[in-house]
Amino acid sequence: MRFGLSIFTAVRHVKIRDAMTRSCFSSSPGQGLDRAILFRMLGAANIVMPVLAVLIFSTSLASAQNGTPAPRPEDESSAMQLLTDKGLHDIENESWNAYGQFTYISSWKPSFDAPYTNLNGSINSLLPTAERSFTGTATLYLGLRLWKGAEAYLVPELISEQPFSQLRGLGGAIQNFELQKGGATVPQVYRSRLFLKQTIGLGGESIVEESGPLQLGTHYDSRRLVFVAGNFTILDFFDTNAFDVDPRQGFLGLGFMTYAAYDFASDARGYSYGGIGEFHWDDWAVRYGRITPPKQPNQLPVDFRLLKYYGDQVEVEHKHKIGEQEGMIRVLAYRNRENMGRFSDAIAAFDATPQENATTCTGFNYGSQNSGAPDLCWARKPNVKEGIGGFAEQYIGHDIGVFGRGMYSDGKTEVYAYTSTDRSATVGVLAKGSSWSRPKDLTGIGENLGWISNIHAKYLGMGGVDGFVGDGAITAGSERSLDMFYSANLGKVYWLTGDYQHITNPGFNAARGPVNVFTVRVHGEF
Amino acid sequence: MASFKPHRSCARLLLAGLALFSFQPSLAHAQQQPAGFAVERFYQSAPGGGWFIMDDLNISGRLGGAISLTSGYARNPLVITDPDSKQKLAVVSQEAFVDIGGAVTYNRFRAYIDFPMPLSVTGTSGTLGSYQFTAPSVSLGTTPDTISDFRIGVDTRLLGEPGSRLRLGAGAQVIFPSGDRADYVTDARYRAMFRFLAAGDAGPYTYAGQLGVHVRPLNDAPVPGSPNGSEFLYGISGGRRFAGPTGWRFVAGPEIYGETAFNQFFSGKTGTEALLTGRLEQTGEARNLRIKLGVGHALVQNFGAAQWRVVFGVELFGHK
Repeated sequence: MRFGLSIFTAVRHVKIRDAMTRSCFSSSPGQGLDRAILFRMLGAANIVMPVLAVLIFSTSLASAQNGTPAPRPEDESSAMQLLTDKGLHDIENESWNAYGQFTYISSWKPSFDAPYTNLNGSINSLLPTAERSFTGTATLYLGLRLWKGAEAYLVPELISEQPFSQLRGLGGAIQNFELQKGGATVPQVYRSRLFLKQTIGLGGESIVEESGPLQLGTHYDSRRLVFVAGNFTILDFFDTNAFDVDPRQGFLGLGFMTYAAYDFASDARGYSYGGIGEFHWDDWAVRYGRITPPKQPNQLPVDFRLLKYYGDQVEVEHKHKIGEQEGMIRVLAYRNRENMGRFSDAIAAFDATPQENATTCTGFNYGSQNSGAPDLCWARKPNVKEGIGGFAEQYIGHDIGVFGRGMYSDGKTEVYAYTSTDRSATVGVLAKGSSWSRPKDLTGIGENLGWISNIHAKYLGMGGVDGFVGDGAITAGSERSLDMFYSANLGKVYWLTGDYQHITNPGFNAARGPVNVFTVRVHGEF
Repeated sequence: MASFKPHRSCARLLLAGLALFSFQPSLAHAQQQPAGFAVERFYQSAPGGGWFIMDDLNISGRLGGAISLTSGYARNPLVITDPDSKQKLAVVSQEAFVDIGGAVTYNRFRAYIDFPMPLSVTGTSGTLGSYQFTAPSVSLGTTPDTISDFRIGVDTRLLGEPGSRLRLGAGAQVIFPSGDRADYVTDARYRAMFRFLAAGDAGPYTYAGQLGVHVRPLNDAPVPGSPNGSEFLYGISGGRRFAGPTGWRFVAGPEIYGETAFNQFFSGKTGTEALLTGRLEQTGEARNLRIKLGVGHALVQNFGAAQWRVVFGVELFGHK
């Protein structure tokens, strides 16, 4: 079987935030980054941090005020607000709502230097020729209150897309978070979400939840239990975006969606079936979720045997204030049990029997033609993948915030759903245009860094491929992408974005690149 | 040397035999493989429409709306009979679906959107005549997020008031292609429906009917058991209301509905089905609930008119 095509998931309307906790990288040196990688990371940080510092301090000096940008300001234009204005709808205590969006993203990649591409029949190189990529999506968010505390949501979505190089050759630096594995230029309609959410109030303060996509306008107790069951993306509830910024208005890079190393169980589009439980106690929240993985890595069919194969995650969240500025810290850990291959097992199988190579697979594989390379198809069996990460966001002024996130995954097994990255770190700054009298404009700059484990690098160096990367050879290095954008609001409900990304060591291969990507995005909401 | 002659003859015979043998598979390969189509002809009424297929045309009030969830199972919705051997093949023997829709009403107008989602579509592959049918193999596991041929429509009550003896209306809907033809859930072509609707109430009795046109560009003739172009829609329903406590009532009665292709007007490609329905409903101006159950059987079995089916629906509806 051949891997039909891929790239990842544009899940969500969700939001962004990030954090990198150094401790999770330095606490386990045995499995962690080697010194060279650590130095490269620090080197990258040396370049990025001054830029960030200039941007942070310049904007915070320009607007040293307090406050949190509301997710949906009262002047927000929407059909729900229009009905409310005419006395036909209660947007603060909704029994139903409907929102929609459309987004078109066009990216262009000039040619770049690469001493080799798809060496010896390996197939997962980012092509060095100039390429154009695009995505077009349209989404309808429907919400309904069924009974006290019960909300149901249905989200049909349409997507048309064309990735760079068939979505091959990049780890967490994939330039457009909307891209999905298995997508096509012919528009496809699918159901992205259908779930039930039950909230049980336990007292405390009354918290206003404003009307929006996947959220009925209502009041919640600050102390409450929440249960969710159905079809959703785990990113609707875990590691939601920093500062409530819709990714379709914010950073375009996939690495800014969530931890690039968070290989959360999901189908090829990024969605799962399962259940989630949340416990909120004022500024604290704890959540746990179990969700379905795909039957084969990075494919659409779902394995519903939730007692045999699953993705478990737990997250602890705390909101705080430093001075008058709000912030949040989260820690997330995940553990997946899936039918996946370990790199060491694939290498051992090839070393013991060279006939068990990438061209002789009898099970699911990605179609590599490298007969001198090991392949994960010979190593797939029930295995466990684990990771832990941290996130922090902090407002530092009026409508200005910084964020960072980092995750360490064990790096022993193949990518099953998200990106090939084994360890990741992201830092960035987001600012609204309040300081220059354009409060609905949004700008940001951030750096996304990703690494692979030593055994992963060895496997790729032998010519192996995983779901996304594998040039046939490798000079292992950290994959880095600098992402900067400006999103201008036009006519209240439209945004026009210009974005530039500079990707170094694409596919964790220091022998190739760097790559420049220029992107334009048009986004509308109703 | 002479002895070679018979050997050559034998060789020619052998080669001819081999050639014939080798051509046979190629003839088999020449068999046509139908691409599939939207097998279902259970075209539901709009959310809040009351009946499963027909529409009660009780559209009224200021801004209102309805949400519906319908699920069903159909047995043998596509059984093809070889015209020569009379051999039968259940290309689609089982079909289960869930359908979620929403409607907005204002005064006498309704606009709605409806999303069918197949849960299971399976059958038996086989050869009939010169056609090699490949059965669908759809399950929630293999296609976890499929929406098949969603539709957007508008209805209006033209004559008569809600609850009157005679109400007349009209409706139109566009069906958007979505899904894979091989799964027998879509024609992969845009379709449209235009319907004239009638409904009324007389004492405890209620009725509804429809006549319409299904603009269906797909014409797979002469493939047996396949669409043959645009279709004529017909249907009628009648029932009796039984008053219950605290505003609840129960309505029971049959719905008979079907379609026939204009190209073979009631001579072929016709499917007619009868559905015995019961619904428990609470109606008024506030938020109302309707629970529906139907059990059906084909009167004229053709594609989409299942040998038997069970459907279940829940509707929330109301208006200001």
